[in-house]
Amino acid sequence: MEKKEDELQEVLRALPSDAVKDLLSHQVCARCILRVFGVQGRAYASPSLSSLFAQHSQTQLCRLCLGILQFTYSDDTKTLLQNDNLPLLIAQTVQRQAYHFHSFSLEVSIPPIVLDNDNSLRSYMKTKYGSQPWFQQNLHIGCISAKDALKFSLVYPLEDLLECKSSMGPFRIRLTFCHAKASKGDEKCSDGAESCKRRKIGMSKIVAGPVFGERPTSSSVENDSSDCCEFLLEKANEPCHLTYFCYRTPFYFGGRYLKYSRNVSQTRWIIDDERMGEASVEEIIGGNILQACQGDSFKFHAAGREDIDVRMLGPGRPFIVEVQNARHIPSELSVKDMEKTINSMEFSLNKLVKVKNLKLVGSDGWNLMREGEAEKQKQYAALVWISRPIKDEDFQCVSSLKDLKVLQRTPIRVLHRRSPLEREKIIHWMTMETIAGSSQYFLLHLCTQAGTYIKEFVHGDLGRTHPSIGSILGCRAEILQLDVTDIKMECFLT
Amino acid sequence: MTTINKDEIVDEANCSETKLHEEKKEDEEDEDLRKLLVPDVQNLPLTPPSAVESNFATYFAPDFMKPGHDQYVYRHANGLCVIGLAPSHVAFKDEGGITAVDFNVGKSDRSGMKVTGKRKKNAQHFESNTALCKISTKNDTYIVRLTEKDTLLLSCQNLLIGLRSRLPLLAFRSTRN
Repeated sequence: MEKKEDELQEVLRALPSDAVKDLLSHQVCARCILRVFGVQGRAYASPSLSSLFAQHSQTQLCRLCLGILQFTYSDDTKTLLQNDNLPLLIAQTVQRQAYHFHSFSLEVSIPPIVLDNDNSLRSYMKTKYGSQPWFQQNLHIGCISAKDALKFSLVYPLEDLLECKSSMGPFRIRLTFCHAKASKGDEKCSDGAESCKRRKIGMSKIVAGPVFGERPTSSSVENDSSDCCEFLLEKANEPCHLTYFCYRTPFYFGGRYLKYSRNVSQTRWIIDDERMGEASVEEIIGGNILQACQGDSFKFHAAGREDIDVRMLGPGRPFIVEVQNARHIPSELSVKDMEKTINSMEFSLNKLVKVKNLKLVGSDGWNLMREGEAEKQKQYAALVWISRPIKDEDFQCVSSLKDLKVLQRTPIRVLHRRSPLEREKIIHWMTMETIAGSSQYFLLHLCTQAGTYIKEFVHGDLGRTHPSIGSILGCRAEILQLDVTDIKMECFLT
Repeated sequence: MTTINKDEIVDEANCSETKLHEEKKEDEEDEDLRKLLVPDVQNLPLTPPSAVESNFATYFAPDFMKPGHDQYVYRHANGLCVIGLAPSHVAFKDEGGITAVDFNVGKSDRSGMKVTGKRKKNAQHFESNTALCKISTKNDTYIVRLTEKDTLLLSCQNLLIGLRSRLPLLAFRSTRN
């Protein structure tokens, strides 16, 4: 502790005292003074900072940062608060939420007027102290932004209080400061964007070398006041309103699912307050994952979909579950447990859904799934009945058709919600498999382009799909059952 | 003589073992899949219901406006309907069956209708009894009419003209009642 205090004393002694006194007299707070002179790091977090500038009382709101760096703000109840223990308050809020985290990342949002204030001060400083030796020395350091200074003042104590390091990660603490006054920059630019541009170009021609503290800024630097020594910043009457909260960026779980039931829809399906089907894949998988992660909500995304009465078999269909604001970080073991729980769920002794290869994926999981989704081939097995006994020639007839082009008008059963179009689809191959004990039923295995309506390809949809199995075999054909047997995609296979 | 590392031998054995194990697992999965796919023949009906029977509610309008003009309406759960001539329609009784279908019924040519998009832009609204199309046979022409007031969605250009075929003619959206 003492060492830190000594270090702080040294830093303060190194500052040009006349300039410091000047700024203090203009109601610039301690932390802002530090940042104007390019100080970085732990100095901002020192608890005795305000007492070291004891000559001047710091009760007034800083004209530069509007009280933000003084930990002075108003909360939701419009109460003015000054709390040197702001880090403690934040830490307590975080701990109340019961998040598990290994690191945290601080996000800060401050009103743009603070940046304008910085610019005004810069020109004032240049005018008044430009000839001083320390001014030239400070050129290469520049002024520290209010955001960075605030982070310095909070991160170190928070690391101690939360007992972990600050680094980029999924767990975030967000502080938002709002101020009622609009940004000064808006007023200037309201002259017309053109005049603003002209002035900016003009300025860059005049300015020869690097200006004290100038980093490229978007707002207007064209201060007409550069000639006079007036400290133009107005007295700050109102503090900023502060809200803060913590959250976790979404977790993504990827895997493949199988659907064994013909009474389970893929997503929750409710018509007139009544659920269609017994359950949904989305709720079974997403619900379990959400529960295990203790998240707020989830979103279910799958690579394509199947009807409620169609089973999804074989290697399964790729899916991603996105969990919002998870409180727990799932370990590899707990992910395997999630998989086991889902796979053991039953409805009246019938297994409904199976999940394979469930794991946490990064944002690249999306690309894996979306990549070529429309090009991927799908394989099906359909139970087909025809209106006449199967002939030997039928097998050859069906097998010989490779990459068969099929014209499908939008099926009547989806015509109410899809555009009336004619879509050309390709059936890559087909094989017929006999069923022992039946002369008119057979299993049709087929591999088709993504987006092909299989049921309509079998029964012809009153002539809207042509050719169809019926037209190929020259008789009436009906489909009784459909199963998806393979989705030829690379992702989530392990 | 070359010395072979003991670990290498074990590794190779493990490698081929896991490969064999994987292949066996794949075969098992295939076998399981097959079992799921093949149905129990005992449960299969001799003649299953047709796609129309399963998915639509069929309505008949016998002697619609004129004796012998029997029309049907297939109504889907989503509200869309298909209108056609019932097999008992007089048109089928004519010698030679149906020869042509003409969508040009005086006021406007229905075949020129182009409905686009999910919201079904450019669909026409009709009153009941509006003429939809003309069916011609060798000796006669018959007019197919809408049985209720509705919106005409589109015409099916692909018509089967034959002796006994029931012509699926048009699909339109109907208000659910």
